[in-house]
Amino acid sequence: MTRIALSDGPRGGMGDEAVARARSSDDFVVGEEIVRERLSARIVHWAVALTFFVCLFTGLPIWTPYLGFLANLFGGLHVCRLLHPWSGVAFVVASVLMFAQWVSQMTLTRADREFLTPRGMVRYFGYRNDDREVGKYNGGQKLLFWAAAAGTLGLLASGLVMWFPLAFAQWLREASYLLHDVAFSLFFAMIIGHIYLGTAAEPGTFRSMVRGTVTTKWARLHHPRWYREVTSRQAKTEP
Amino acid sequence: MTADGLEVRQSSAAVWGSSTELRNLKVVSKYIDTSTCIGCKACEVACQEWNDLHVVPTLQVGTYQTMPDLDANYWNLIKFREVEADGKFLWLLRKDGCMHCADPGCLKACPAPGAIVQYQNGIVDVNPEACIGCKMCVTGCPFDVPKYSAATDKMAKCTLCVDRVQVGLEPACVKSCPTGCLQFGDKSDMVALGNARVAQLAKSGFAQAALYDPPGVGGTTVITVLAHGDHPEWYGLPKDPRVPGTVRFWKSVLRPLAALTIAASFFAMVGHYLSFGPKTPKDDEETGAGPV
Repeated sequence: MTRIALSDGPRGGMGDEAVARARSSDDFVVGEEIVRERLSARIVHWAVALTFFVCLFTGLPIWTPYLGFLANLFGGLHVCRLLHPWSGVAFVVASVLMFAQWVSQMTLTRADREFLTPRGMVRYFGYRNDDREVGKYNGGQKLLFWAAAAGTLGLLASGLVMWFPLAFAQWLREASYLLHDVAFSLFFAMIIGHIYLGTAAEPGTFRSMVRGTVTTKWARLHHPRWYREVTSRQAKTEP
Repeated sequence: MTADGLEVRQSSAAVWGSSTELRNLKVVSKYIDTSTCIGCKACEVACQEWNDLHVVPTLQVGTYQTMPDLDANYWNLIKFREVEADGKFLWLLRKDGCMHCADPGCLKACPAPGAIVQYQNGIVDVNPEACIGCKMCVTGCPFDVPKYSAATDKMAKCTLCVDRVQVGLEPACVKSCPTGCLQFGDKSDMVALGNARVAQLAKSGFAQAALYDPPGVGGTTVITVLAHGDHPEWYGLPKDPRVPGTVRFWKSVLRPLAALTIAASFFAMVGHYLSFGPKTPKDDEETGAGPV
């Protein structure tokens, strides 16, 4: 069984200090933990996640009547139709903030490109990869970042046409209905993978988005170059 | 507002088992002969009266036409068109409104269960209570008929006076027509009437006269006699109307594919967890090199 990552790691005074210091900065060691995501980053991430799921669950019952029961979560299909475009606007706003906060760290390196080859992905999912050169974010996370940005753009463009269809030409409306379906289904499929890797598949990851910290052991296993950078920098400044 | 006494052939966003088609009711039809229409607009008034529709502010477009286009509060509009062709000037009048397609694109595109319903007698009706105002029907319709009402956030269009038809009456527009250019009855009878009129027109020098019952949408419940049948576009009618291919593709191909993609992602993750389990650090690992 997977434990919810919130509850592992060191307890006591050490932990509280890490949480407190994770409010304003990241990438440093506190005892057995490393602060990975500062508070603002976590808030923005969860704003994206929340608005994503509101969009998803208000959109699915409009997408197919077989998921019509989801409309009852919001008070019916009429409410979904009202909420969906506005939650879409909120999702885009949150996504823009997320893009701004992480874009500088998402440049694909040579090692990332290797990670993203079919061979690299098979090795990664088979837990046979050599992670020596993986920094704070691996190639898959960076790919997710860019795919999410592209997907959000596609959903926004097609969504605006679907929101105000009478202002657009017939061919543009037809294209938008198709694009919105393609973009949302790929996005959703990708987010299923994202949630799985961030929880069940890689224990200790979820806490980085809740508590903001990971264990040093976790960092060595998943992001060794980042681990080396953070620990060596700290060794220099705190002799 | 759906007609309870009529059986449903298909309805929008239906799940399995939505058809209640049991008896074999005849398909009805409204016959419009554009060649004997005098543009008196009695049908427009009758439609507004019977359906108790609001007065709509009109716009003078330089013709006798009441307003530029159909409206959510104006379901029946005589289009007055001036066409110059082969050195001749033609003044063509056509009663515009819902064609009640056998294969309705509006119904196909609609995502709200039961908002658009096709009865077994061929009438395509709207249920405003179920309509969510998304306007997808506008994209599905090849005749540009469904109109959106900002006041109600819903779509509206001609119902072929389903409330009259189900109790054995003709639609209000037909009842009011003084020239007989509007008729109502079984589709087979109306087609026979149309063919007879087309033959008559052909004898009178309109060799290209035709009955407009476009097969691209499975035929229409509203059929129209056109003296210039080879040029329906002169009357503002599409030459070969079809439900947009993208709408068909979207609903019958793309949607199942998208569902499969999502399901595949989910089951791939479940399969991965069962096969590989979680990725955890080895206890004796101290090198920082990652797993072997």
